[in-house]
Amino acid sequence: MYAISRWFGVRAPLSARERLVLGIGAFALPLLFWSLVSYVPFLWHPMVRISEPGGVDYFQPDMLVEAGVFAAETGNMRQQNLALPAGVPANPVYLPAPHEVLRAFYTAFTTRPPQRDAPWLHESLLHSIRIIFWGFVISSLIGVPLGVLCGTYNVIGRLNEPFIEFFRYLPAPAFGALAVAILGIYDGPKIAIIVIGTLFQQVLIIANTTRKLDFALLEAAMTLGTSRLRLLTRVVIPGTLPDLYRDQRILLGWAWTYLIVAELIGTSSGITWFITQQARYQHFDNVYAAILMIGFIGLGTDLILARLARVFFPWDRPGR
Amino acid sequence: MMDPLASPPAGPDYRTQSPAVRERFDRLKAREVILETRELGKTFIAAQGEVVALRGVNLRVHRREFLCVIGPSGCGKSTLIRMLAGLETHTAGDVLLDGKPVNGPGRDRGMVFQGYTLFPWLTVKRNVMFGPETTLGRSAAERLAGTWLDLIGMGKFANAYPHQLSGGMKQRVAIARALINQPRILLMDEPFGALDAQTRAKMQMHLLDIWKNVDITVIFITHDLDEAIFLADRVLVLKAHPGEVQELIEVPVPRPRSPDQLTSPEFLAVRRRLDSLIHQPTAEDGEDDAIKPQLIRLTNVADNVE
Repeated sequence: MYAISRWFGVRAPLSARERLVLGIGAFALPLLFWSLVSYVPFLWHPMVRISEPGGVDYFQPDMLVEAGVFAAETGNMRQQNLALPAGVPANPVYLPAPHEVLRAFYTAFTTRPPQRDAPWLHESLLHSIRIIFWGFVISSLIGVPLGVLCGTYNVIGRLNEPFIEFFRYLPAPAFGALAVAILGIYDGPKIAIIVIGTLFQQVLIIANTTRKLDFALLEAAMTLGTSRLRLLTRVVIPGTLPDLYRDQRILLGWAWTYLIVAELIGTSSGITWFITQQARYQHFDNVYAAILMIGFIGLGTDLILARLARVFFPWDRPGR
Repeated sequence: MMDPLASPPAGPDYRTQSPAVRERFDRLKAREVILETRELGKTFIAAQGEVVALRGVNLRVHRREFLCVIGPSGCGKSTLIRMLAGLETHTAGDVLLDGKPVNGPGRDRGMVFQGYTLFPWLTVKRNVMFGPETTLGRSAAERLAGTWLDLIGMGKFANAYPHQLSGGMKQRVAIARALINQPRILLMDEPFGALDAQTRAKMQMHLLDIWKNVDITVIFITHDLDEAIFLADRVLVLKAHPGEVQELIEVPVPRPRSPDQLTSPEFLAVRRRLDSLIHQPTAEDGEDDAIKPQLIRLTNVADNVE
């Protein structure tokens, strides 16, 4: 009883062990749910996988039929005194079991692509990562300096932000056709979509973060004889750097969410091409594996960047 | 508590000075004027029209003087020091430093703020180096910063980051960071306001030590009357609505100062005078007085705490 009442202490601190256990639980719980639905037949399993067609002329071994249809056909066969079909309860084809997806993680990399000139999975993944990388780098090269300037000088901020505020409501994919017309059908328009999707949010977020810098620090620097131009390099940038870095991590996550739309523009490519191909052949285990790979790459990058932040900014207060 | 207005002051008048103190003040006033204000004023444009924050401030601060500024909230004491620092523009009169008008902040007027304004991304030593780094170059600034850190007893924290320091230590470093620039005057805006009473008393002694040993003139804002009397040669008393100079008091408490003097007759005389000036009924107090608690007994009649 004591333990449970403690769980609901508002913002009660957690020990390192509790944090670890709960963190593992965050992944284990959805996995447990998925396993239950996949492996416990009476939980869902709305389909029947045919093992013996019996007298039903259109049943094939390994075919999935709805449980209702299977029951009706079994009744028909019994009436006509024909051989009864047999089968086991199964889930629809679009929900493979965890072990099938796990196997697909390996086999997807080792399976030769169906066409000889088509890319392997790792090539598709690398292509996607390249698109994200260039999209994010180009966006940041413009967005971060512009955001810092907007947040530091009100004249620049006021001149840019109203229009950017308007532009960020325009859905990036809407520029797909335009991007193809201007940049061709290969990587150009895809990178452009990621840039359009990221840049405008980026300027506004970076500008806001820059504004949060304690003005007293700027005043202190001025009374120490810092000229107005040098305030930018001596106070604004070093003072906001850890927060800008945090913003960049969040924005990188947003860039990933534009990936699939971007890759559908022009010639389909990268991980999106892999996913649509596999879905067409109903290899949903591969589809899930590919989607999960995006998640792992994204989370992995973020964890590495978070670790690096501690090296870059030793002065940044822990726990912020 | 005694009402200072009702009871006639016991002990000496706050204007009575011993010969030694009078001689000190004569010497002080013979020194050159570092900072002067002439009819200094500030008017804000607010929603309800023009608001006078401060007007007609005439002040002459002499070299190596320690001047404290006190006043009720809203008297514009922060506005005054920020105008002297050049962080806020004045709308009337002049601020003259060594006879030259002040426009905008500069390294000739060092400032220590109430909030902690050490740069969190720099170590203690790099914070102290911040000013001279651009003028003297890195290595000379580093040597100078080392000297200053030893002077304020923070030598072994040279490589610590500000978030690792206590409030008192942060303000020590902030003082060193301002003084390393060799400013003509040090402006302090309630620098010990956020510290606990014990640390505050230590910092006051520490500040007097520095002031005694360094050629520096200090203007120190506080809302703590004892702190003002303890530190100051002269206390500038402001009043609110509109902010104006009410009186410039010469503190008759002899130097060197020590905590024992807090109960000396001269100290108490100034204290009574300040109390009567600061706690005069004002419009603002009137608003507070309108709140009349109507407490009824909510406990058992036998359950007494007094």
